[in-house]
Amino acid sequence: MESRLASVLRLLRTCSLLGLGSLGLGAAFAEPSSASPTPKPAEHPALPGKHRDFLTRYCTECHGAEKQKGKLRLDDIPFTLDSPERAERWAKILNSLNSGEMPPDDAKQPEKPEKADFLEALSQTMVAARRALTDQGGKITMRRLNRREYQNTLRELLGVNLDVGTLPPDGGSDTFDTVGASLFMSPDQFQLYRELGKKALTLSFKAATTETAVQKAHFEAEAETIPMIERQVAEFVSIRKRHTQWTRQVDAAARKPENAKIAAELREKHKGHTEKFYLEWEKIPGAPSPKEFGFPDAIDANMMNGRWDTYVPQAADYLTLPKAKSGTYLGVAHLNHRWVSLPVPQSWPPGEYKVRARIAAPPEGPVERRFVDFLTDHPSNQVVSTHQVTGTMENPQLLEFTCKVDAESGRRFKFSEKAVSGNGDGKGPANDIFREGFEANRIGPEYAVWIDWVEVEGPIQSPQIAGTLANVRSQIERFEKKETDARQVLSAFASKALRGRDVTPEFLDKLVAIYEARTKEGDKPLDAIKEPLALLLSSPSFLYLAEPATEGAPRQLTERELATRLSFFLWSSPPDAELLDLANRGELRKPEVLSKQVDRLLADERSERFTRAFVAQWLGLSRLDFFQFNSRLYRDYDLPTKAASKNEVFVTFHTLLQKRASLSKLLKSDSVFINGLLAQYYKIPGVIGDAFREVTLPADSPRGGLLGMAAILAMGSNGEQTSPVERGAWVLRKLLHDPPPPAPANVPQLNRLAGKPLTTRERIALHQEEPQCAQCHRKIDPIGFGLENFDAAGRWRTEDLRPDVPQNNRQINASGAFHKGESFRDYFQLRDLIAAKPERLARGFTEALVEFALGRPFGFSDEDLASEIMDRASKKNLEIAEFIHALADSKPFHSK
Amino acid sequence: MKTSLSRRHFLRAAGSLIALPALESIGFRTFASEKENVSARPKRMIFLGLGFGVTQETWFPDANQAGTEYTLPDGLAPLARHQKNITVIQGLTNKYSQDAHWGSTFWLTGANRFAEPGQSFHNSISVDQVAAVKISQDTRFASIQLNGGDPDLLAHHRGHGPGLSLAWDAGGKPIAGLDSPALLFHRLYSEESMPLAKRQALIAQDRSVLDAVLSDAKQLQRGLTKTDNDKLNEYFQSIREIETRIAKDEQWLGVPKPKAPIAEPPAKMRGKEEVRLMYDLMVAAFQTDSTRVFTYRQPAEEFVKSLGAKVDIHDMSHYAPGERMEVSQLRDRTQSTLLAGLLDRLQSIKEPDGSSLLDHTCVAYGTNLRTVHTLDNCPTVIAGGGAGIKLGHNVVLPKNTPLCNLWLTLLHGVGVSAERHGDSTGVLSQLS
Repeated sequence: MESRLASVLRLLRTCSLLGLGSLGLGAAFAEPSSASPTPKPAEHPALPGKHRDFLTRYCTECHGAEKQKGKLRLDDIPFTLDSPERAERWAKILNSLNSGEMPPDDAKQPEKPEKADFLEALSQTMVAARRALTDQGGKITMRRLNRREYQNTLRELLGVNLDVGTLPPDGGSDTFDTVGASLFMSPDQFQLYRELGKKALTLSFKAATTETAVQKAHFEAEAETIPMIERQVAEFVSIRKRHTQWTRQVDAAARKPENAKIAAELREKHKGHTEKFYLEWEKIPGAPSPKEFGFPDAIDANMMNGRWDTYVPQAADYLTLPKAKSGTYLGVAHLNHRWVSLPVPQSWPPGEYKVRARIAAPPEGPVERRFVDFLTDHPSNQVVSTHQVTGTMENPQLLEFTCKVDAESGRRFKFSEKAVSGNGDGKGPANDIFREGFEANRIGPEYAVWIDWVEVEGPIQSPQIAGTLANVRSQIERFEKKETDARQVLSAFASKALRGRDVTPEFLDKLVAIYEARTKEGDKPLDAIKEPLALLLSSPSFLYLAEPATEGAPRQLTERELATRLSFFLWSSPPDAELLDLANRGELRKPEVLSKQVDRLLADERSERFTRAFVAQWLGLSRLDFFQFNSRLYRDYDLPTKAASKNEVFVTFHTLLQKRASLSKLLKSDSVFINGLLAQYYKIPGVIGDAFREVTLPADSPRGGLLGMAAILAMGSNGEQTSPVERGAWVLRKLLHDPPPPAPANVPQLNRLAGKPLTTRERIALHQEEPQCAQCHRKIDPIGFGLENFDAAGRWRTEDLRPDVPQNNRQINASGAFHKGESFRDYFQLRDLIAAKPERLARGFTEALVEFALGRPFGFSDEDLASEIMDRASKKNLEIAEFIHALADSKPFHSK
Repeated sequence: MKTSLSRRHFLRAAGSLIALPALESIGFRTFASEKENVSARPKRMIFLGLGFGVTQETWFPDANQAGTEYTLPDGLAPLARHQKNITVIQGLTNKYSQDAHWGSTFWLTGANRFAEPGQSFHNSISVDQVAAVKISQDTRFASIQLNGGDPDLLAHHRGHGPGLSLAWDAGGKPIAGLDSPALLFHRLYSEESMPLAKRQALIAQDRSVLDAVLSDAKQLQRGLTKTDNDKLNEYFQSIREIETRIAKDEQWLGVPKPKAPIAEPPAKMRGKEEVRLMYDLMVAAFQTDSTRVFTYRQPAEEFVKSLGAKVDIHDMSHYAPGERMEVSQLRDRTQSTLLAGLLDRLQSIKEPDGSSLLDHTCVAYGTNLRTVHTLDNCPTVIAGGGAGIKLGHNVVLPKNTPLCNLWLTLLHGVGVSAERHGDSTGVLSQLS
């Protein structure tokens, strides 16, 4: 048996390999030793030898040399987890400890910290072992295009924007959507590709062959509003009149002497609620039915009459507003002046449209409400964009932006005040705003936005799309004039669509035969050609990024393959002409050429696709979309603000990438990238307008870096209250590269103190009671508590106002200490401690980047690759772009 | 040769399809009610997967009350009128399941995620697919997968884990499910508007389409590494599966789809309404013998939302006394109420021999997660006489009895003579 020292040394190497911080050995031991030799891939994780004592003390009496209860012997169990069988055996041990099954109740029990240490070490070793045992030795599994890439590829081939939401979601168990092993294919999916391909071709042919004259529609905002309000008022006048007539006649019947008794009874019963008296009209002989007055029933009659108060004074007031005759003041509730709509004919083709509005903020409206949302009538009623209103009534602003319209979406657009979009929880702040205004003046709140007119103009094709469509058009024309035949069309399309793979004559023959069969059926040539073209778009050569290779040593990619890999990495779409040209000339591989191309691709706006896809998955941002924020508690974290806060993460990363700035700015920074809406949310003065820009922060600001971003903090909540556990685990996973193992199965639940009023900290302190929980939560929770000065929606707070927190204990206490590490007094110190270790963030970022770019999990064999990337980036102050350059230059990126 | 086989196949299928109502209408009931004939009725199976687990304190019957004399706990109380038609089984576990948010991924497979060296995810065929091959070949659809219309979210949040439905094919790859009652209705009953000749031409064209892409796949296959070939194999498998479907379409080409015994459901139904409609449609599908095997990975997030609850499903699953636990209990009861409704419907549909659909249907209801993060003692209810297990019991098995032993028992019960399933070690004698 190996000596304990040897096994500890081996473990130390493994730990540093895994970047696994401390395996219960204390942080001091965990730093990689510069003397550690280059590891062999065969190296397997082992449980530190010192833990054999634990087994000896608590297990081997029943599971030892003499007795082997349950046929399990632990005194000689190997500590190296080098086979699935051994891992399985240890998994059982871990489970029986986690579930509290072992040691049995009548046996000697370990001390809590002792047990937690053992569990922590074993859990971490299990994670490492699973990773080692599932390591693919750097092998990249061929993958198909994911949804995003498929959509982008069709756009570049055919110039259309296709809704691909019907395809099943990509990515399986917590991997990137580029990881081949998790990208499956199914019969249904094949059929969907066929259908989507045909649809894309139909749209493309139509767009290419239809003359797209630019059209313009102009709407004066008052045109519909005033008649609508007048109609509503007339309706309420009529209701009131009819209601009055009805109640008068009921009263008359009630006054009849023979009805005196019942009338008196009913009046007594509804004392103080005159209206309710009329609900029982049937009990009064001779009283007329409300139906005779045009009401469905008495309840409805009262209800419709009762709405007078919230509608009519508001309407009367509206008509007296100074510019009601020349525009629309956007309301928040009750009257139908909440939207200014722009209906354009459905026949207007898909494409980009310019939207303009002349718009202003009345002086009485509160500043925080001076935003408009632009929406489409898509069933999701999605907010397309949000705009700050800066114009004054004397000097309105001209708002102008572009909006994408695809084939499926409707053609009715509308503007509304931001509050109307709400928080997505179905309640929305609009009603609260109305109520508050109404309670103050019995009319309604002040108006915050006024619109003079709105305009749509388009479609305006981007040069890229216009170029693609022109190409499609010329292909169609030549085909229709019989200058080309089906075989030539298919062959030409194949060479483009298949990214340089040659279509075999056999495949081509079959495609041509399908075309001919269809024309025989009577299809027109242009329709008949769609089926074989759609098949090319459903063929494995198109759907899979194939890189043929033989078993054994990796081979170098061809230049074409390199172009494809690079382009899908940074653009999520196939290589463009320039990349292909370089590849065809055999120059792309030259380091200086490649480096220039990486810079070119990053500078192109298509690199935003990389940022959005990569950052969202790396940081787990999809969690943000999962919760609706309670609009009573977080009125200002409405959907537009939430969207802006998510955008902040992307914009920040992307700007840092393009500015060649350091990744460490994500940990702490003296500036933020925000727009007017977020500045208002963060209470940062002097930032007006919709464009995101860099804003320098005051020295004492909690913002600057991911930890100060509303989106990141809001993810660590459930829309009602904060979750220090989610936040702490996120920091460990993403910023400190010390991911806690997955939540263990079968741990008994603690219910002991539930239902009692507790602070968040007290509630979560329960995690520390049982060693099964403490093994991870002692690391997770202190970090989460350190972020408690941010509420569920990421706003700064000093008190926890949750109703179930004891009154005398509301003050936030953010102090704490890393498990077996440094202590911090407050959030600011916590942030400084995390920011002092940028190499941790860099390491996690590197691994994520490798996984995303190569389409396979980061493995043991990637250790050299990670060091190489980290070394290069470190020399350049961790510039984000440098990580990408280093990866693009690396051998694995050039190998299959 | 192939044609004549298909034709025979089709005739048999069509025969059995019309037999059910015809026999009934001419009063064959007395004639057909002999015991042998009862057992000769087609067997049907339904698997209902809940995802996140149940409220263990109020869902499991008292383990000390094993047998027929047991009290239904709060979570199962709405099933009271069916107590004789259900058996609750305690002590079942998928021993390899360790992922604490994966209630559905391995529920019907019992696979070891790490069984394949070098892969971080592995799965194997699910029990419904094993059954479908045997018991549902003569119907228009060998099996139908349903998948609750939850938004497209992290698997973690739904309590189901990776997968596209409860079903996994012979290669352990996920099978997609229909995600709304309206889609299911159209699959079952909407008639092709296309004339027969055109459809035949289309089928011929589909064949040439598959032939074409296969030639490309074969070309691509050359020169790929083994791993890549395995990946491409998913494509081949898909094409083969479509071929099977086409063959089946061909068999059924001349047979009009049955008339729907149920109204078309509204387009957007979510949560508990979705579940209710799906149950109704399952019964309708059995009535028209459109398929005999269903799996349904149920909506989780939307389900809880439709109860008017303010807590989300993940928080609910981590319940503690108070609101979260109340929501969890409400979900248990609502699910049981819906299940009781399904059993009512199955019982109300009479076979020509006087027995009911419920007598020949086996409903398996549960999930791989017991409660919170706990994966042992999976909540399990078996209902109906389809698999011939004893009903009306609270069966308490030894701890950690393989869940796959139950699946194997059910397979045998519906007439599939499998040797094993997943990690099964034998059939459960306690159920007969």
